[in-house]
Amino acid sequence: MSSPTSIVDLHDESLLARLQDLVAASPVPEAAISEVLQVLQKARGYIDGEALRLAASLTGLSPVKVEELCTFYSLVLREPVGTHVLRICDSIACHMAGAQDILTQARQHSGVDLGEVSRSGKLTVIPHVCIGLCDRAPALMVDDQALGPVDTQTLTQLLAQLEADIWKPS
Amino acid sequence: MKHVFFLDGQEIPFIPGQNVLEAAIAAGKDQQIPYFCFHPALGSLGACRQCAVKMYSHDSKHPPRITMACLLPASDGLQLVTLEDDVHTEHREIIELLMTNHPLDCPVCDEGGQCHLQDMTVQTGHSVRHYSGPKRTYRNQDLGPLVYQEMNRCITCYRCVRFYQDAAQGEDFGVFGSRNRVSFGRLEDGPLESPFSGNLVEVCPTGVFTDKVFRHDYVRVWDLQQGPSVCPHCAVGCNTTPGARLGTLRRIRNRIRPEINGHFLCDRGRYAFPYATANSRPLQPRLQGEPSRQDAVLRQLASRLEEGRSGFLGSPREDLHSNLGLFALADCLHAPFAAVTSSWAEALAQQCLALPQAPSLQEVAAADRIVVIGDLDSIAPMAGFAVRQALRQGARLTVLASSRTELAQKGDYRPLRPSALRDQVARLADDPCLQGGRFPVLLATAETLGPSGLYALRKTLEKLPANARAGAFVNRPNLFGAAYFAADGHTERLQQALRQRKINHLLCLGADPLGEDWGAGTWRTLAPGLDGLTLLDMVDSETARSAEALIPVAAFPERAGLFVNYEGRIQAFSPVYRREAQVLHSAVHGSGFPEAAGGLKHPLGPPPPLFWLGRLAEMLHLHEAWQKRLDFYLHFLCPEQPDPEGPGVLLPDTIRARFEIAALPATRAVTPEQWELDIFRWYGGETLADTADELHSLAPARGLRVHPDVQAVAATLHGPCGDLQLPVIACAEMVQGVIAIDQEGFAELGLYPGDPVEVSWEQSR
Repeated sequence: MSSPTSIVDLHDESLLARLQDLVAASPVPEAAISEVLQVLQKARGYIDGEALRLAASLTGLSPVKVEELCTFYSLVLREPVGTHVLRICDSIACHMAGAQDILTQARQHSGVDLGEVSRSGKLTVIPHVCIGLCDRAPALMVDDQALGPVDTQTLTQLLAQLEADIWKPS
Repeated sequence: MKHVFFLDGQEIPFIPGQNVLEAAIAAGKDQQIPYFCFHPALGSLGACRQCAVKMYSHDSKHPPRITMACLLPASDGLQLVTLEDDVHTEHREIIELLMTNHPLDCPVCDEGGQCHLQDMTVQTGHSVRHYSGPKRTYRNQDLGPLVYQEMNRCITCYRCVRFYQDAAQGEDFGVFGSRNRVSFGRLEDGPLESPFSGNLVEVCPTGVFTDKVFRHDYVRVWDLQQGPSVCPHCAVGCNTTPGARLGTLRRIRNRIRPEINGHFLCDRGRYAFPYATANSRPLQPRLQGEPSRQDAVLRQLASRLEEGRSGFLGSPREDLHSNLGLFALADCLHAPFAAVTSSWAEALAQQCLALPQAPSLQEVAAADRIVVIGDLDSIAPMAGFAVRQALRQGARLTVLASSRTELAQKGDYRPLRPSALRDQVARLADDPCLQGGRFPVLLATAETLGPSGLYALRKTLEKLPANARAGAFVNRPNLFGAAYFAADGHTERLQQALRQRKINHLLCLGADPLGEDWGAGTWRTLAPGLDGLTLLDMVDSETARSAEALIPVAAFPERAGLFVNYEGRIQAFSPVYRREAQVLHSAVHGSGFPEAAGGLKHPLGPPPPLFWLGRLAEMLHLHEAWQKRLDFYLHFLCPEQPDPEGPGVLLPDTIRARFEIAALPATRAVTPEQWELDIFRWYGGETLADTADELHSLAPARGLRVHPDVQAVAATLHGPCGDLQLPVIACAEMVQGVIAIDQEGFAELGLYPGDPVEVSWEQSR
């Protein structure tokens, strides 16, 4: 999930048609909300207020219900992010394996607070709930790709690749 | 058969279906089981893990185990223990976890002294926090003028969101985030939209949601004077507990009454109380607009009454005692008396009373087929709340109204012009919306339906199965009490006497005949024939400002009385506080020392209307006769005095039957081309409530609500008693051809809901 922040026009008919198809294909309109949010996030980079209200009106949920969902699932972004999103697991297994150091290093590299877009616009570092790679702790996700175990060295390399735009998912 | 289980060796009775915690709380054993997320009206969740009990099995195969009382169905002979060390450790450790992030701000927290978390923490003995990390903090939201949020105090019991989303079915409040960053609030800052938002204050077991109005004039709860009272802001008659200190009313809390309001109150009931402390409230008698002394005003009034040219006007806003006192005085003086301000309202009251026994709100919540006529939430929000509870149980709801109301969005909505309601109601007996149900209930807003519509409703009810029930609602606390003496033609006779100059003085009680009451247009045209008008009231109204003499009366929590609610339930309320202390101590009202000339004029707060009427009777040497009549009427209407702490007394059906033959006023025919009027109200609107600043700040703008097809910015409506010019407010949900205006507008025009009206549209300013 590469997340370039590009505010695609919500009146774009092909996007709207795609979203409506998703809702129509779902047994009840409300059930399509996760997919609708995924498509919207892919198209726009993150779910802004306008997209949130669109998702709500398409699925018949209240905007509050959609926000509940967005804030519950950490893969849904409600703020703009950099070209790449680095999600570093901070749950128990990774924590024990040194996730805090990884997190600190990535944060220092980005030069801004967690969740913010680095000055180069290339990176956003976010702490993340368990990504299910406890056997490869400490683990992280670069966009859609899970990686682990990560140490200081591999992280340095990874960050350099992300910065130079030469990182490719395997 | 009596069902019991055992808690620490003591027998606890239960009703099958109850869980262990519910039964233990009902038996007064909640001292043994601490709990948070369980709420009697919201049920069990098992989220807080606090209500642990140890269950011993009857066989030797299963070892005793700790389980949650709120999730354990009560069953016969169950052996439960809380007094063992491991249970106590569980209680203490869970509360320590819940308290991890809780700030130690009890001394400055509004909840202190009434905090469930505080009680439970002290009860379980937790005193030392072992976790030394930083506490989680939040940014609080501004939730409007009624509810204050302090999110850091949250222990995530989810009671608030279960109340707001599930019970009240509000859509603008939710729970956000996950793990240890869960928060409760709105999508963005702004006032809560639900008419029931104030209940967050009561359901929250700690100080996350506190009463923002109480905050302005705060006092610790143990310093409050409290007592049983009844809400005076609509016909439901929810039971309340007003709290006062130093002679001023500070807050209203819910008082549990299962038949009516259960555990909740609407925001009008909770936040309209500042009418009692409003600066505009008359506290001193006024003569010709100037402050005067009690005796002077009474002497003036007595001499007026002695002339024998006075008429008497009661009010559905005042309680039964006061109305009867006025009626008895009119009777002694052989003067004309009316309980309501127009013949239309009189017929409305009679038709309301003629309806057979209405369902209690508890019964409404158990109905499976419901028809709502008009905007129920805006008249009697708690009735709307009961409908929501029925919806949760799978009831089928049909709403007949001229706009898609909040309730209409939750059921089948039939858009109808008000004039079409009567015919639609007459046909309801054969309508599929009521078929197949085991308990059908019809709920009408009386004013929208009108007297002939209520008559049609009664006839429909006769055709429905015997258990079908109907209720009619108004936003007056005592229309059904006033209806007792709203005998045919009383209002007309009073107005006729004024027209024929048989009377030239009017003694009004809690009425606003020259302001916003029904038929005020007619009274205004008759006003030139009035030589004087005396008003007993507790709010400053149009009539109060133009009255010759104004006599202030005690607010409802300052006196005893009786209200008759929409079911015909006679409920008593008792005095909670006296106003004098405030006059003596408060800096706002000047020093406690007597003024050099004349001293403190009225160290006591205004007395109740019955006191004034008794004094008048004395001055007219009629006291004995007056008292005798008053006692007789009271005994006739209410032979058994209800207890303020009890469920009240229901009117006997024989009294209702007397009203079945009441006359109906002629309805004006409306053609489809004509514009017709409907009434627009909002949930916080009511005469007393309108003087409560915080609640009133949420009131929608005044205007003519019409379908957006209307291309006009303003319009002038022409009625028999006057014109009304207001801006046009486009409302997507309005039916075409209907203009919704407030009661004041009706009073200015001299028209009633469902009447046709002439309109001049204005395209630009």
